[in-house]
Amino acid sequence: MNSLKKAVLVLAALLLLAGASAQINLNMNTLFHSGDAQAMERIVTAFNEAHTDVQITLTQGQWADYYAQLYNAVVANDAPQIGVVHTTNLPQMAIALTPLNDSPAGDLLDAAGISADQYIADLWDAGEFEGNRYLVPLDTHMFGLWYNRDIFEAAGLDPDSPPTNREEFEAAANAIRDNTDAYAVHMAEDGLARKLARAWYYLYWGQDQELFDAGFTQATFNNDAGLAACEYLTSVVDNSWNIAAGDGFRQFTAGDLGMLVAGNWFYWTATEAGLDYGFAMMPEFFDSAVTWGNSHNLVIPVQPAGTPDEVYIAAAEAIRWINENSDDWGIYGGHIPAYNEARTSQDLLDSDTWQVSLATFAQMAEAGMLHYPITHVDAPELEDVFNVHIEQVYNGSLTCQAALAGAESEANRILNR
Amino acid sequence: MSTQRSRRARRQITGILYVLPFVLVWLTFLVWPVIYGFYISLWRWDPLRGSEFVGLRNYQNLFSDPRFWNATWNTLEFAAISIPLIVGFGLIFAVMLHNSRFRGKAFVEASLFFPYLLNVSIISLIWAWLVDPDYGILIHALRLLGWQEAPAFLNHPLWVIPLIAIATGWWLSGYRMVVFRAALKDIPQSILESADIDGANGWTKLTRIVIPLIKPAILFSIVLSALSAFSVLGQVLVMTEGGPGRSSEVLALYLYRLGFHYFRMGEAAAVGFLLFLLMLVVTILAFRFLGFESEFERKPGGAR
Repeated sequence: MNSLKKAVLVLAALLLLAGASAQINLNMNTLFHSGDAQAMERIVTAFNEAHTDVQITLTQGQWADYYAQLYNAVVANDAPQIGVVHTTNLPQMAIALTPLNDSPAGDLLDAAGISADQYIADLWDAGEFEGNRYLVPLDTHMFGLWYNRDIFEAAGLDPDSPPTNREEFEAAANAIRDNTDAYAVHMAEDGLARKLARAWYYLYWGQDQELFDAGFTQATFNNDAGLAACEYLTSVVDNSWNIAAGDGFRQFTAGDLGMLVAGNWFYWTATEAGLDYGFAMMPEFFDSAVTWGNSHNLVIPVQPAGTPDEVYIAAAEAIRWINENSDDWGIYGGHIPAYNEARTSQDLLDSDTWQVSLATFAQMAEAGMLHYPITHVDAPELEDVFNVHIEQVYNGSLTCQAALAGAESEANRILNR
Repeated sequence: MSTQRSRRARRQITGILYVLPFVLVWLTFLVWPVIYGFYISLWRWDPLRGSEFVGLRNYQNLFSDPRFWNATWNTLEFAAISIPLIVGFGLIFAVMLHNSRFRGKAFVEASLFFPYLLNVSIISLIWAWLVDPDYGILIHALRLLGWQEAPAFLNHPLWVIPLIAIATGWWLSGYRMVVFRAALKDIPQSILESADIDGANGWTKLTRIVIPLIKPAILFSIVLSALSAFSVLGQVLVMTEGGPGRSSEVLALYLYRLGFHYFRMGEAAAVGFLLFLLMLVVTILAFRFLGFESEFERKPGGAR
């Protein structure tokens, strides 16, 4: 009897072990924080509830060091099975990513049923590097114009007719400055150096210009268009529409700012501030309406040799599932899902997020207004060059001419290193 | 004779065993990283694409890069302002508390020490808020006092490093105060009473008796403050991200960006090694000029 009991127990243990080994555990690391992290956690929790054979362990919150950590995890043969990479970081990170069309487990796109027709074409097209596909787009995010309806009314403006071009924008800014106590405009969220550079980018790109030549051999921005963009940015301070060190996020949420150029992630902050606000497309400041933007993409980092094929396939299928359910990414994260069916899901279209801001963001994306920042292997260093020079112009330490010349010289040194 | 020798050997082994855990930790977490960091600094370090031995070229690149010299200058400026603030205020608070008797003294001491308990991010956010040009209470107070054009301190190339140094002084001087308080309590009352009988005033007692007698505590505070000043990162990262422009980009931030943003690990390791050398030199100089021993421990005839 005793030996029978033992045998049953051993058998049960073996069955349990067999069951446990059949389950695939995927680690997923993201750079999301705040509302984005909560939205992704919601999606992953739903994934885990819907699957018994595959479970995802989610790690989030590291933004500043995320790419270095991902790279080092690959070096240490300890990379997560799913990661997130911005489109513009692809040249820098491709070496640490699995080519989805040519992985050790074969073509994962075919295996998981991921195809181009399921996604916004521009976002999908940006996911290839040197002939291989590394990225599956999750979303796109960009800047737009948030405005305070109460301040518009106090300034004698129509809150249902936000500015659409430079003349209307300037007229609105002057009216707010002259008729209210509020700041009129902030062109760059919280005014951090990298945000000010983004403002200069969209003003520059709006003149149909590019920062570098096609082969990234030299800088091309030290020209009249660069100067005009720079002078327009500093006119915010020169026209007393705002102060040089102003934080647009704080000013807007305190009800002290009329118009703020900020990203779609501002939705929840603006809503929770209890303001009566509106959202509009980026005005056409120069020749065409352009906005700064980027995309998050799901990736499979390089896995250690000997990783079973099932793990690759499970990761690819999880990526597909997350995108199929990314309407929650729009509703709770405030981003525009790249996956067509998620973007047109009724839940998303009925949500406040969509009604208030995402519908307009989607129009901007569909109108081709989105312009990616620098996409180059040295992008972080090149972006720093713009950050420090544009910030110094904005706070009055440098002239536009000196800043552009300095930035051009530094950028060329990096490109020709 | 042999029994005596074996007893001595056993004592030595016991001593070695006592220090062995520390030595192992020291070798693993200090000596080895320094050696390995120097090794990396001789390479164009890229484990995935393949590393290439470049000798001292990373150092040459740094020495010819104005950004490196700017970061070095900013680090020295920060150290030159923050070290006297931290040590000076720590000493002043300690002496004032030591010489005073009033109700609530413990509360004052706890209040002065309290900032040290806070995380660097909290300190940085508090000070960033205090000097916010729109909503900062410090800016508001300065305007009430008549300085209508008070600058946006963190957005001003001349003010930014001093302001971060002041915030650091506020953060760290409380801990130094506790160190000095302990040292002051060790001074025999009889010496101070003798000085009183000889007619010494407060300043004379401070400069001729108190400071020489707490020299080890001062040395400890200076070395500790110098190490934290030369490796400053958190305050700068949270308060300014090195800006405006590169006005507050210190060596540790430059290193961090080289390594973690630009993936130029070889050059980052070179900056790290140079920073290590800089701190080593400063520490040796501090020991040389101040000495390990207080006046208590000095041997007759000045032999040390």
